[in-house]
Formats: sequence, structure tokens, C-alpha cells
Amino acid sequence: MIAAGPEATSKRRPSKINVRVLRQDGPGLPPYWERHQVEYEPDMNVISVLQKIAAQARTSEGNAVAPVAWDCGCLEEVCGSCTMVINGRVRQSCSALVDRLLEDHPEEIELRPMTKFPVIRDLMVDRSRLFHSLKRVKAWVPVDGYFDMGAGPRISRDEQEQNYPLSQCMSCGCCLEACPQFNKVELQRNPGESDEEFAARKEAAYSVEFVGPHAISQAVLFNSHPVGKNLERERMEALTSSGGVQACGNAQNCVAVCPKEIPLTTSIARAGRAATVYAFKKLFDR
Amino acid sequence: MCVHLVTNSSLASGVDVFQNAVFAIHSLPFLPVIEWLFIFLPIIFHAVVGIWIARSGHSNLNRYRLAGNRRYTWQRITGYIAFVFIFTHVFHLHGWFHADWWLKTVAEPIGMAQFDPYNAASSLANAMNSLGILWPIFYALGVLACVFHLANGIWTAGITWGLWLTPNAQARASYVCLGFGILLGLVGLTATGAATRTDPAAAKATEDQMYKVRVEGLMIKPNEHKRTDGRRHGHSSEASPGPTLIIPQAVTGSR
Repeated sequence: MIAAGPEATSKRRPSKINVRVLRQDGPGLPPYWERHQVEYEPDMNVISVLQKIAAQARTSEGNAVAPVAWDCGCLEEVCGSCTMVINGRVRQSCSALVDRLLEDHPEEIELRPMTKFPVIRDLMVDRSRLFHSLKRVKAWVPVDGYFDMGAGPRISRDEQEQNYPLSQCMSCGCCLEACPQFNKVELQRNPGESDEEFAARKEAAYSVEFVGPHAISQAVLFNSHPVGKNLERERMEALTSSGGVQACGNAQNCVAVCPKEIPLTTSIARAGRAATVYAFKKLFDR
Repeated sequence: MCVHLVTNSSLASGVDVFQNAVFAIHSLPFLPVIEWLFIFLPIIFHAVVGIWIARSGHSNLNRYRLAGNRRYTWQRITGYIAFVFIFTHVFHLHGWFHADWWLKTVAEPIGMAQFDPYNAASSLANAMNSLGILWPIFYALGVLACVFHLANGIWTAGITWGLWLTPNAQARASYVCLGFGILLGLVGLTATGAATRTDPAAAKATEDQMYKVRVEGLMIKPNEHKRTDGRRHGHSSEASPGPTLIIPQAVTGSR
């Protein structure tokens, strides 16, 4: 049964697929479940199922409804934008193959938005906090300027092998969704509040909450870059302030759900070691 | 906690061994200062910070049934158990405060503050068996929760402080912590079992003899406040000031 090829599985293939979607009409509105049914086709992924659902815009009871909204980009699991909770597990919908999902759970496919981010509509979420975390730890190499800085220093093979997996992060949010220490922050716009005021209020709220494993890992990556190192102290300051690496609870869910298999818990431990050294230096070096 | 459990488990080797260990602890200078500075205040600090940390997270074990997530959730559950256990335990045996009015009007009438250091094993055995099997079960569960919390806490602290980095290193550290936890758990259960099974009457005879010899040998100062006779029976009987006065005179007279 395990080695079942297309012939063996085709017997169990249904003609219709049942899909249950957790919908939400807008930010802050109550979510509700809705059932849809689409024609089965070979080699579908959840995105193609969602395309069919949007095209028919009709529930399995036959009621006409607004098309289900979702986010997607690359369709090859490198952009991270189509991340959602599929059959209870957070993952990318483009690489969630329907045949595999039906093998595990033949009755239906359950789709819901990530629970740690504010829902914009249906399966679309606002992941701006994820990117704000990257800003907090300055996850970039500071090379502003027009002059030629010449060739950079050589990076040893060992270091390359350590850094390459970290560079594969696509900011999808799986690690944050699975993390018990990363809690949802959802603010509502106050009456008469401008875009800038609302954005500033959100950033202030994000700034004291846990940065998340992805940002810790990126801080470790850029701290080991020969030029990125220039910002090491600022990154360590961010990682040792409120919501820094000490807010990690070591549940290690992040590394278990990461679609890129990034060694996030190793990055967290490295950041922890660096934070210990940084805290001692801050106390006794100056 | 390790020192505490090992000391307590010495009761399994005999009432005299345990009583000697308690005498040794009570011979430390400024004992209340040591108690507050190195035991009570750190525990209160840990309790406050621990509850704040536990409330900062939301377990999702129902959705992600992973080993690490299980340990994360149990670390918080055992933390809460340890909080209730330690504060009850200190109240039950120590009484929280030394003030007489507190001990006489609040703690002792409700069966708390039961431990008398110079009658260590007998007062402990009486306290453990005062509510049938309830106290032994409470202590066994509480000790095991504390041991898990410590062993698993050493492992997670090792990650947070950056001692063990890679999954392999963390797995090795995990085995070491597991071994440590099992060992300390056995020590803790030995202590609980020994306290429950000790015969109070026989233990008290030994302790009183040891007290007498220690006082006569100038190894300790007489202190009826730390004795069952002085504390519990002395206050109700009229003869209570007697021994407290006679022994110091005997001591000074022999010098």
C-alpha cells in the first residue's frame, strides 16, 4: 500500500472533493465555516482547488457567494505568500498536493487562515509584523553608497555551509504560526485615525512582542556575514531587549514545521550564546 | 533543591543521620538571613517571573503534538504545581514566619508549621501522617513536578544561554538531564517514603537523647523553640519554663 503508484491510488480517487473553508468578510469581523465542492482532477494542489472554488463562487449547498480570497505568488514554495492552515497543519498551499491530502484525510480538505496574523479577508492575512521583526533585528547588509568597496573577505566553506540553510528563509510565517510564544497582535483602527497614525501604533505594539524564530535566525545569518557584522551590536541590542531571544520558550515547534528545514533552534541557541556574551560585555567592557 | 532532597533522603539511613544533618544546618550562623537571601527570595522571584513567563505563552499542544511542545507545556504545568506545592510545603512544615502570634493563632491551629528542627524525624513523620494518605501523595506529586521542572529547566536554560547549540548536542544534553531527573526523582521519593514510614515515638526518643548530649557537650545552644516538647506541649503545661532555664544554668555552671 505504501508504494502505491497512480494505478493503485486511482481506485480511491473521488469524482468530487469536499473543501471546508474558514471565511471572514473583513478585518475584525466574525469568521464562519463554508463548504465547497469541486471536480477532482489529477495532480491538483490547494491553489488549483481555490481557483475552482473562486470560479464557481457557489457553496456545496448551491448558494451563490463571493469568491474565496487567498494570497499566492510564486507557486513553487519560495515566496511564502500562500501560507495557510491546511488540515490543521500550517504550510504553503502551492506545495500541498491534493492527492496526498486525500490519502491522509479522504472526506474533505480543511482550509483556514493562519491564526497568529490579523485576517484581511478569508484566507488572506496581514503579515506585516513578520517583516517588522526583520526590521527590528536589521536583517540586512549595510552597503549604502556608490563607491566601489572592492572584493569582500573570503568566507570559509564551513561558514558557507552553516549560513546557506539560513538564507533559504522565505518569510512565510509557518514558524510563527506554530510558536506558542508568538501571540496574535491585532489592532483596530480608531475613528478618525490616519494611515500613518495607525501604522505607527501597530509598529509600537509589534516592537515589544516576541520577534519570532525567523528574525532570530536572520540576525544570526547577518551577524556572521563579514560586512553584515557591522550592525552586530544593534542586532544584539534588539535580541536582548523586550521580545528578544529570551522570550523563546524552547517548544521547538518552529523547526518542526519549517518548510525549508532551516535549523531554527540552532540559530536560537547561537543567538542565546551571543546574547549571553553581549550581556557580559555590556556590563563589564565599558 | 538537590541539597534539600539529599538531606531529607538521609532519613532513609536512620533518624540519627537525618537529625545530625538538621543539626548541621541549624549550626549555620545567621540562618534566617541565609533562608531569606538564598532560598525564600529567589523562590519568590522565580515564582513571580515564572507566572509572568507562563502567561506570556499559549500552549498549542492540541494542534502540534510534538515532543518539544509537550515538554514546553509540562514545564508550565509543573511550574504551577511547584508554585502551589512549595508555598504549601513551607507553610505546612515551616509556617512561613517565625513570629509567635502568627504561629499560635494562624498556622498551628490549621495544622501548619509542624516541623520542629531538633525533633526533625518525629515531627516530620507526625506531619506527614496527619491526614491519612493525602500528605504523602501531595508530597510525592509535588516533588516529582519540581524535579521535572528543574531537569527540563536546565535543558531549556542550556539552549537559552547558548550552552548546547545543534540538535545533536541538545539531544545529548537531554539524555544527561533525563538521567539527572530520574536520579533526583528517586532521591525525592526516598525522602517522602522515609518521612511517611518513620515511627514518631521511637524517633523522638533518639532525638531527645541527641539533643541532650549536644547541649551538654556545648555543641548547640539549648533552644526549646526548635523542640516538640518546648513548642507544642511546653506552652500548655506549667512546667515549660523549667527545662529552658535549668539547662543554660547547667551549661554555664560547667564552664
